[in-house]
Amino acid sequence: MSGAAATRLDPWRRSAAATAGLYLHFVRLAFLKFLAYRLRYYTGVISYTIFVAGYYYLYRALYASRAPGPGGVAEMGGLTVGEMITYVAVGWIGRSFYFNNIGRDLMHQVREGQIAMQLIKPYDVQSVMMFEAAGEAVFRLVMFTVPITVVIVPLFGVHLPPQPVLLGWTVLSFTLSLVVYSQLNFLVGCLAFHMKNIDGVLRAKMVSGDFLAGVIVPFSFFPEWFQRVVEWLPFQAIGYLPVMIYLGKRPGDELWQALLVQAGWAVGLWLAGRVAFRRSLRQVVVQGG
Amino acid sequence: MSDVLIRVRDLTRDYRLIKRREGVVGGLVDLVRPRWSTLRAVADVSFDIAPGEMVGYIGANGAGKSTTIKMLTGILTPTGGEVTVGGLVPWKQRRQYTRHIGAVFGQRTQLWWDLAVVESFRLLKKIYEVPDDVYAAQMGVFNELLGIDEFLHQPVRKLSLGQRMRCDLAAALLHKPRILFLDEPTIGLDVVAKENVRRFLREIRDLQGVTVILTTHDLGDIEQLCRRVMIIDKGRVHFDGELEELRRRTGHRVRMTVDFREPTSGARLATVTAGLPVVWQEGEGRRHVAEFRRLDVAGADVIKRVVNDCPVRDLALAEPDIEEIVREIYRDSAAAAAPAPGRSA
Ligand SMILES: Nc1ncnc2c1ncn2[C@@H]1O[C@H](COP(=O)(O)OP(=O)(O)O)[C@@H](O)[C@H]1O
Ligand SMILES: [Mg+2]
Repeated sequence: MSGAAATRLDPWRRSAAATAGLYLHFVRLAFLKFLAYRLRYYTGVISYTIFVAGYYYLYRALYASRAPGPGGVAEMGGLTVGEMITYVAVGWIGRSFYFNNIGRDLMHQVREGQIAMQLIKPYDVQSVMMFEAAGEAVFRLVMFTVPITVVIVPLFGVHLPPQPVLLGWTVLSFTLSLVVYSQLNFLVGCLAFHMKNIDGVLRAKMVSGDFLAGVIVPFSFFPEWFQRVVEWLPFQAIGYLPVMIYLGKRPGDELWQALLVQAGWAVGLWLAGRVAFRRSLRQVVVQGG
Repeated sequence: MSDVLIRVRDLTRDYRLIKRREGVVGGLVDLVRPRWSTLRAVADVSFDIAPGEMVGYIGANGAGKSTTIKMLTGILTPTGGEVTVGGLVPWKQRRQYTRHIGAVFGQRTQLWWDLAVVESFRLLKKIYEVPDDVYAAQMGVFNELLGIDEFLHQPVRKLSLGQRMRCDLAAALLHKPRILFLDEPTIGLDVVAKENVRRFLREIRDLQGVTVILTTHDLGDIEQLCRRVMIIDKGRVHFDGELEELRRRTGHRVRMTVDFREPTSGARLATVTAGLPVVWQEGEGRRHVAEFRRLDVAGADVIKRVVNDCPVRDLALAEPDIEEIVREIYRDSAAAAAPAPGRSA
């Protein structure tokens, strides 16, 4: 058959509008998928409220045992008791929105070989997973974040931000948190190509991530050197910066800097995830079948 | 048939495996310093496939069928060799390439597990930018041939395996791909469901002219669907040709089973057919089995001799099933290519 005419497949390109439509569709589908499991989230509302209640009583007790500072109010790590409780509550409300498990998702897909079903489709797997995470976030916003806010804010006397406009910036900042958090998860999930079981890695990432994001203990409690180190990690761009913006602790140019740091991490981790995913595909075997 | 759509040359794929040491200590040593061995799952495979062909790729479990399909669909990067499909290299130009193919892997589904079947189709419509009229026409065809309307609104996880396979076939063909890859599409299905899948594939090939590569270890699939067969064993292709040619290669072997009225010895039978190219198998008592090739001797001549000389109660002639033919091909090419091909430690 040498010298035979070769049939060619037509080149093809998806338009920008079609791409946008496709990704929106993934957002919608992920939303529907989580809606099918919404019962799970009703218990989530209760457990988040209990978390915040725990911190509420803990900090109240800690502050009560403190001598009042120069202004006549007790301060710890530069925060008054009201600010501290607001810090914790807003941190957890934000987490209820940006949290997802796409690292674990990717791990399962790789381990069971289901990732093959994505690889035979003409789309970018990383982008698709990001938009699915967005769909999950929309679901969480409606079914989880809003109910939690309605319960927690009046219950624990959570402060409003010093200027109302900061509320808008906080929402934007948490949206960037979602992007950073998802990219980080995707990157960690890529490890699944190289290791049999990354459950441990994922759990360690989740716990240390919450800790290093300042969701569990505010950074201002940490020694100076530790705060310097944490500033160079992506976690503070997830949990800490949005809350600081909310509390008005990032005045003037510092607000922009905080948002830029978040955006920088989003772009950096996206690129790293891209490289990691491609290299993994080239080197590693998709199981099964 | 001078057109080539799929061109494969010297395609090879190795897997690296840890050679396990024994015992607990060995296990710990494995963790620190693994010993690797290489398994050649696909070895120097070459072939061309023309547009519109329907090719069966058969072999036993572990022969290298799935590994080949994974490389052809761009999921797996080969260790060596080339594949071009319509001018594209599957694993390098994945997004360009996958636009033109459909694939079904028997053990998994590409449908969204938690959602109604129709949601998956709507998503696929967007992914492949299928125009509304084509979408409607395709769904009409699928409903007519597969009856998928029945369960279009059920969640995928509630479907039976047969229903799910019908949906997966439809999903792989919605965008009218040029090439359809099927990796064991009838695995685990009952007889009726198998028959449905085969009938559908025949009809869709005639209707839409799609090029099909189908792996299976069920020879019924091949007999009903493919004129061209490739036999793979231990990573090597041992036969590539028409199913008819495969039959001819084995010389139309016939197996004759005879029930005699009284116990008959093998020695007696050997004298009865003396001079004819007939081989009597080990046999005792009333039942004996003989083998001969229709190319060498007419069945009637053999039967006449036997019936004339011994009292026969019953007699049956059977073609060997294709499984036996395949076994024979393995044996031939294994003998030709010693040491055993495909594996290296
Ligand atoms: N991911 C893998 N890692 C190591 N060996 C593998 C892997 N996948 C398949 N193999 C081995 O490669 C050979 C061919 O496998 P496969 O292509 O799946 O065969 P088939 O599909 O014909 O059953 C088998 O010996 C199998 O054990
Ligand atoms: Mg297989």
